[in-house]
Amino acid sequence: MKHPSIGEFEELVLLMVAALHDEAYGVSIQENLVEKLSKNINVSAIHVALKRMEDKGFVKSRFGGITEDRGGRRKKYYVITALGKRILDSQYELRTDLYKMIPKISFS
Amino acid sequence: MRTRPPKWPLLFLRWFCREDYLDEIEGDLIEIFLRRHAHSPAKARRQFLWNVLKHFRPEFIKPMRLKPYYNCTVMFRNYFKTSSRNLARNRGYAFINIAGLAIGVAVCMMIFIIIQFQTSFDDFHPKKDRIYRVLTEYHHSDAADMSHGQSVPFPMPEGLKTAFPQIEQVAPIYASHNDQLQVLDVNGGSVKNFKEQSGVFYTAPSFFDIFNFPLLAGSYASLKDPNNVLLTKEIAETYFGDWKTAIGKSIKLTVTYRIGAGLFQSPPIVLKVSGILATIPKNTDFQLKLVIAFGTDFTGDRLYGLQNPDWSGTSPDFGCYVLLPPNISVSNFNEQLSAYARKAQSPDNKDSYIVQPINAVHYDSETGNYSNKTISHELINVLWLIAAFILLIACVNFINLSTAQAVNRAKEVGVRKVLGSNKSQLLMQFIVETFLIVTGAVVLATGITILVLPFVNRLLDLSLSFNIFNNPAIILFLLAVTMSVTALAGFYPSIVLSRFNPVNALKSRLTVNASKGISLRRGLVVVQFIIAQALIIGTFIIVKQMNYFMDQPLGFDKDAIVNIPFRPDSTGSKLTDYLRQQLLSINGVQAVSFSSNTPVEDGNDIWSTFRLDPVKKGTDLNAIIKFSDNEYVPTYKLQLIAGRNLRPSGPTKEFLVNESLVRSLGLKKPEEILNKEISIWDGRIKCPVVGVVKDFNDRSFRHDLAPLLIATNSTMYRQAGIKLATTNISSTMQSVKKIWEQAFPDYVYEYRFLDDKIESFYKQESQLAQLYKIFAAIAIFLSCLGLYGLASFMAVQRIKEVGIRKVLGATAANIVYLFSKEFIVLIIIAFAVAAPIAWFCMHKWLQDYVYRINIDWWLFPAGGLVAIIIALVTISFQAIKAAVANPVKSLRTEG
Repeated sequence: MKHPSIGEFEELVLLMVAALHDEAYGVSIQENLVEKLSKNINVSAIHVALKRMEDKGFVKSRFGGITEDRGGRRKKYYVITALGKRILDSQYELRTDLYKMIPKISFS
Repeated sequence: MRTRPPKWPLLFLRWFCREDYLDEIEGDLIEIFLRRHAHSPAKARRQFLWNVLKHFRPEFIKPMRLKPYYNCTVMFRNYFKTSSRNLARNRGYAFINIAGLAIGVAVCMMIFIIIQFQTSFDDFHPKKDRIYRVLTEYHHSDAADMSHGQSVPFPMPEGLKTAFPQIEQVAPIYASHNDQLQVLDVNGGSVKNFKEQSGVFYTAPSFFDIFNFPLLAGSYASLKDPNNVLLTKEIAETYFGDWKTAIGKSIKLTVTYRIGAGLFQSPPIVLKVSGILATIPKNTDFQLKLVIAFGTDFTGDRLYGLQNPDWSGTSPDFGCYVLLPPNISVSNFNEQLSAYARKAQSPDNKDSYIVQPINAVHYDSETGNYSNKTISHELINVLWLIAAFILLIACVNFINLSTAQAVNRAKEVGVRKVLGSNKSQLLMQFIVETFLIVTGAVVLATGITILVLPFVNRLLDLSLSFNIFNNPAIILFLLAVTMSVTALAGFYPSIVLSRFNPVNALKSRLTVNASKGISLRRGLVVVQFIIAQALIIGTFIIVKQMNYFMDQPLGFDKDAIVNIPFRPDSTGSKLTDYLRQQLLSINGVQAVSFSSNTPVEDGNDIWSTFRLDPVKKGTDLNAIIKFSDNEYVPTYKLQLIAGRNLRPSGPTKEFLVNESLVRSLGLKKPEEILNKEISIWDGRIKCPVVGVVKDFNDRSFRHDLAPLLIATNSTMYRQAGIKLATTNISSTMQSVKKIWEQAFPDYVYEYRFLDDKIESFYKQESQLAQLYKIFAAIAIFLSCLGLYGLASFMAVQRIKEVGIRKVLGATAANIVYLFSKEFIVLIIIAFAVAAPIAWFCMHKWLQDYVYRINIDWWLFPAGGLVAIIIALVTISFQAIKAAVANPVKSLRTEG
């Protein structure tokens, strides 16, 4: 079976969803990614990536409770699905395989 | 105080964002905003707005549909079904609706095709944006105003080439008229004779670099050498049978040409066919037939012909076209042209020159063009207006009938509303229904147009074609008409119908509500009759003016006079004497006169400046010169009021003048001018005046009388005027033909009656009059169609009322009066509006004519009366039917 493809930014978001397990929603993903990448990321990009991955079946979502500091709006939590995990695994494998193919030469 | 995110970005987010995403997105944005707000409120607000904007993307935007609308295809099918059932049930109304609309749309389409054709003239030349015509700007010494003409001085084309090297191409062009042609066989013997009224042009190869007239065979460059000629495919086929064999063949041409005021004839020349032009499109003002190399014969003559380097020398048929480089400023170029003219011309010649873009040529009725067909922008606008009005009348019919019928549909609307239809759905239903009717009408209109187009072509002397498939503009036009008529005609009835209160509708209590509708219907009927009556009155006035043209005494005899073209030969008056003697021996011929032209001409006159010796007043007066023998005065029954007629003479020896000329010289009495000498053509001819003729109309009624000189000169005679006895004209004409064919075996014999010729001066007016008659008839017909529908509907609605009135003793006449009264009042109101409008427009139209009718007051009531009578006849059908019906029948049924 051919897996649906995943973009580079989507992969980062997906990794973060998996890492934040059960605590992943728009703002938390954005903050952690900004921290790790030390680069400014707009929250809209995160939302687009999440919606796309939800359509592809890499993540699934549920609504959280209503909190005061969100203007009475619910949080939407994302968790990685089995398919999402497989995709991450295969991406990881692919990268390590390719990495191993680098000849051992000095780059100094 | 609680911090809140900025209001407008938040509202915007809520407006565009999908409901199911809003919780997440808005929540996240607010959360971010609140955290940032602690650090820097201003920055947080900016950031919030920016984040909202970043979310404005297709993934998050609500679907476009405003309301969930899931059963639309099913409902549309239902709309079609109810519409067609409804149309089938009310066949009469459906017919009136569709037929009325179809006629309106057909008129619109026809006008569109006409305008499309007229505005497409000469727009197929790839370089059309850079093609210009050189016009002469005549500065009259006696008046401040100036006029324009399309003829230019002979040295103009060559002069432009040397003085303005930036001009890409310069083409001289001479349009010849009434040429006799003979097809020659190999030995030079003549095979067939032809005559071309127009279409013979002399020009250089550069003409074809400017204009796009493709060649089938041969080359344009062959026009560099004199005596070469290009034929169009059609002409080659008529002359030689097959255009492919025509190349290299010879044609003998006898041409009469005009230089300045003179008419000259050159000896026949033999031309060689050096190329074949493809069919000339109909939408060009150059209706080429034969294109002769510029430089042939008189066009190459440096002494007396078109190569004469004299800047005051010109011919009415000589023009010049140029191809300017791109991005040139025309006003700047015109200034340079004027400066150049000042240098090149003698100082007392005040004329200057301007260039006119090719796309203005077809609309320029002042200067005209080589096809003699122009259409003014005003006429185009008037046609558009008429098209719009007729369409409006048709739409009004539709609105009237559908709102009148609304009561019948009330139950349906009630049931639909009860079952849950909302207003917009009902609106949709009736729009769909209108759309169906309009589409049917447009299809029908297309059929009507195709059928009627040949008649329009014949009436307007056009060559229109209707081909929907290679004319995308027509399709667009039809779509636009369909849409706008649907909107115009369907919108109001749909609103009325969809507004019904379901409870009232189901209880049949709607008749009370309908009274408001009636007043609107009345208003619409008034509008219809304003348009129709204005058109009727306008048509009356145009027809009256036309009759005036035809019947007004011209001051000379035009009945039973036939004109036959004539060519003098070198024998001087011998030929004319012989012909005269032969003609007078025919039984039905009463008088014969040879002359340069007829007493009245339209733009075909010979003009010259003249002066009275010794100089009295004004040195620069212009007069029309007619050359004729001494029989001219008796043949055309001109009246002498002083002096005597001309004496027979070959060369010019004496003048007759008209009263206008005497007046223009400031003389009080006609006798004062007798025996004084007048010189014309810069003193080349100088003769005494022997007589004065009473003023007659020497030009068309568009112009005032012009000063006139009549003199003998046998070399200038171009036609014979023969006064016939009114009996046995055809046999007399047979004898005349025999004599002519004997005398001129090489020429095609043709003749024209003078009254026909005079009628042809007003061809445009008579075409216009025909057109207006048709439009007025259609307008009144459509209005009455609507009236008929309305009256028949009223008859059905008021059937009970009529029954009760009859039972109570009303006579049939009372009932008819009851029905008619209302409509008559409406028509009279419409008349009160239409009369001043019609007066204003027609008054303006009449100002174009020097000789015009007075707008009589009785024309207006007559127009109104016609409308009332036609309307009454229309209504009375229904009114009488209702009046004579048995009241028992209508009252017995309960409904």
